[in-house]
Amino acid sequence: MTPTTRTRWAILGLTGPAYLWLAGTIFLPLTAMLVLSFLDKSPLVPQPASFTLANYQAYFSKSFYWPLTRWSIELGLWVTLFCFLIGYPAAFALAKRVKGRWREAIFLLIVLPFWSNALVRVFSWTMVLRSNGIVDVAVQSVFPGAPTIDLLFSYPAVIIGLVHSYLPYMILTCYIALQAIDDSLIEAGRSLGANRFTTFYRVILPLSLPGIVSGAALIFVPVIGSFMEPRILGGTKGATLGMNIEEQFTVTANWPLGAALSFILLAIVLVIFGILYPVLRRQGGGA
Amino acid sequence: MRRLLDGGIRFYLILVLVFLYLPILVMALLAFNKSPLYGLPFEFDLVWFDALANNKRLLTAGWNSVWIALANTLIATSLGTMAAVAFGRYSFRGKTLLQALLFPPIAIPWLVIGTAMLVFFFWSGIGRGLHSILLGHVALSLPYVIFVVGARLNDYPKALEEAAATLGATPWQVFRRVSVPILAPGVVAASLFAFAVSFDQFVISYFLAPPGVTTLPVEIYTSIRKGFTPEINAISTIIIAVSMGLMLIVARFYRFGGERSGNE
Amino acid sequence: MSEVAVIGAVKRYGQVVALGGVDLTFADGEFFGLLGPSGSGKTTLLRAIAGFIDMDAGEIRVDGTDIARIPVHKRNIGMVFQNYALFPHLSVAENIAFGLDVRNVPKGEIRARVGESLDLVRLSGLEGRRPRQLSGGQQQRVALARALVTRPQVLLLDEPLSALDKHLRQEMQVELRRIQRQIGITTIFVTHDQEEALTLSDRVAIFNQGRVVQAGAPREVYERPVNRFAAGFLGEANFLQGKVVEVAGAAARVELASGGQILVPATGLSVGAPVLVALRPEKISIDPAPADAAVAPNRILGKVSAAIFSGSSLTYRVAAGDQTVIVFEQNKSRAPLAEGSAVVLDWPVADNVVVAP
Repeated sequence: MTPTTRTRWAILGLTGPAYLWLAGTIFLPLTAMLVLSFLDKSPLVPQPASFTLANYQAYFSKSFYWPLTRWSIELGLWVTLFCFLIGYPAAFALAKRVKGRWREAIFLLIVLPFWSNALVRVFSWTMVLRSNGIVDVAVQSVFPGAPTIDLLFSYPAVIIGLVHSYLPYMILTCYIALQAIDDSLIEAGRSLGANRFTTFYRVILPLSLPGIVSGAALIFVPVIGSFMEPRILGGTKGATLGMNIEEQFTVTANWPLGAALSFILLAIVLVIFGILYPVLRRQGGGA
Repeated sequence: MRRLLDGGIRFYLILVLVFLYLPILVMALLAFNKSPLYGLPFEFDLVWFDALANNKRLLTAGWNSVWIALANTLIATSLGTMAAVAFGRYSFRGKTLLQALLFPPIAIPWLVIGTAMLVFFFWSGIGRGLHSILLGHVALSLPYVIFVVGARLNDYPKALEEAAATLGATPWQVFRRVSVPILAPGVVAASLFAFAVSFDQFVISYFLAPPGVTTLPVEIYTSIRKGFTPEINAISTIIIAVSMGLMLIVARFYRFGGERSGNE
Repeated sequence: MSEVAVIGAVKRYGQVVALGGVDLTFADGEFFGLLGPSGSGKTTLLRAIAGFIDMDAGEIRVDGTDIARIPVHKRNIGMVFQNYALFPHLSVAENIAFGLDVRNVPKGEIRARVGESLDLVRLSGLEGRRPRQLSGGQQQRVALARALVTRPQVLLLDEPLSALDKHLRQEMQVELRRIQRQIGITTIFVTHDQEEALTLSDRVAIFNQGRVVQAGAPREVYERPVNRFAAGFLGEANFLQGKVVEVAGAAARVELASGGQILVPATGLSVGAPVLVALRPEKISIDPAPADAAVAPNRILGKVSAAIFSGSSLTYRVAAGDQTVIVFEQNKSRAPLAEGSAVVLDWPVADNVVVAP
């Protein structure tokens, strides 16, 4: 055996198992679901199925799905926006204003919850937001007799919970991008006569754009596919496309329709990536 | 002015941290509160942890989660490390494509992946159950493992292994005495990531769990939807403590944020 | 200690020829520098000798035995890498001991030999440090000690000093030479720093496009480059183009394309032949042109177009017709010649080196 064949076998042996696994659990299932989305009967039904476009037609013809989709996208936009508004200044402060031990500690504290259980964190908000919860009690004690505050099962509750879930992503990606900006560039900006605001607007913001964009992608994608968070915090209010897909699989057992809706969701995600990709590409990925 | 600004920045960061930790702390506090209905004043009691110890369903689900996470860690770390070594030490045609294929498991919403697995596993006869949950968790963990180990590998040049060979080390000696010790911190960090990914995973497990078989997150979700019991606070507090503890250990092995101090 | 001979070494990467048939012999105990631009094949040759590259054809003989098919770890070579490649998880002593350890040398002997090596590179007392706690120069010494402690037949150095700053680099050059002399090991090193190659080597080889352009003692290669590439790569050179107009005894008169005439050694030249002459800038004397300055062979009139002062020396760019001539001058007592001043350049006939294009 020549060394090159040996190398080839080594590469195959090393990558093979992982990619066989991914093929069997990600790529084949996605293909299977794509096929399913064109079938007229659920595989749960014993009769043979035939091909149809009805599932996709259902989505476009029934006015029922449009508000779901719109709310899913709006939810994604709101959550991304708030994550940016809260996260970017925090990332900036951390990257450019806090130094040494403190920076490391605060950074760790910020990324820590993001690796703890998402479900549990969403659930914990129910105790803060419900009537007689912490927010309510706090307001009552400052303004006795104020009307009871019950944010649970409302649109804001869903947004708050999701922002809480995904904020660390935005801080993380922006921090990495901001940290990579050489301070001398900022000094150069200022030496050229730009004031603080102009320097920020013309130098720092464009250079950290890849961080913002990758953060936005990392947040927007899971949020528009979310179903568990809106269900726990939104209750019956604010049904999302994700919730409907889940129901197709678990409650109504209309798998083909669920599969079609899943691919529509995926298409929306791809469109979003398509819009954001050039920005990431142009800036060389940032991180 | 400067001091005022610094003070403002510190205050802002503290506010962000409060936002991140407030609900978790509230939940943890209520887990130790005697009243079942968030009744204040706070009265310390371990009653919910006691109740937890007797809740068979939650305990079974908990053990399921632990075993799946352990098996997932073992499989994903081994397979992922192998692939990372191939990417880090060889250049070959198709490498970029293979690396790009690691993004779908991360970038596609879990809802889509989970339902797709449900469909495919049903069709192919693999079915639902703990085994298929494990299959799914490994798929989600693999990209993380490959990235984390790969990052470690990229920090150390191939020349280290070449140097060992010129010094007379056989390929096995090179692997054991140079590659393994250098990779170890990355592999440890990756395995903790893998554990966390699996232990926290809800969506995939939710679709792949047949009636009567659950993992902890699925069980918690079911309980929340059925109606709240304060034992959930207790178990959630334990979960949060475990996953945060794990990540603290990861942080010891693996630096986040690309910042490396001079004497490291 | 050993003689190394490379015979007919060929290596291709698809269409790219990394080694296009290289023959070189490295004498026992010789310090040999491989020079060339990046991608010229010098590093490929070094890595082929080390055993990291399988050649498509050719032999590598160490004391007559072909090692081209022997795996790296059985070759008994010592190598110092560009960024030293010290094992970050091992101490200085453990790094140096590594090669002995994997050969199962007894513990006591390892300790003694590691101690000797540390003395050799003057690092005694730093045994317990980790590589990252050492300065660049110290890391370099550890890498050298680690490569030598196994008593290899050949020492290979891959741009060993490129990561050091200028001052430290010069210091390490002296060290490297001292240690190499002391143990007398055949040493092959790759560098892109021509000055370093000239300072350190007993012989050098200049590579271009996978082939050896010229090999020889540094002075010989510098003073008698064989072609335009060798002359231009090693040091600075002026290239004068012209045609032989007369051959008289040992000298040939050449009419330059840019005007003026020069005399060159006549060897192998006949009237009418085109000639390319390499002329080192430091060989030329430059003086203010007197009012009655006349042109003569090896004597050119021109105008200073730029004068660059760099402490110990001056670099002039002199425009003579449409040819620019570069002249180096030691900074002696005379005030630098002003830009725009008329100058006369002249130099000995022997310094005109006829080179292949």
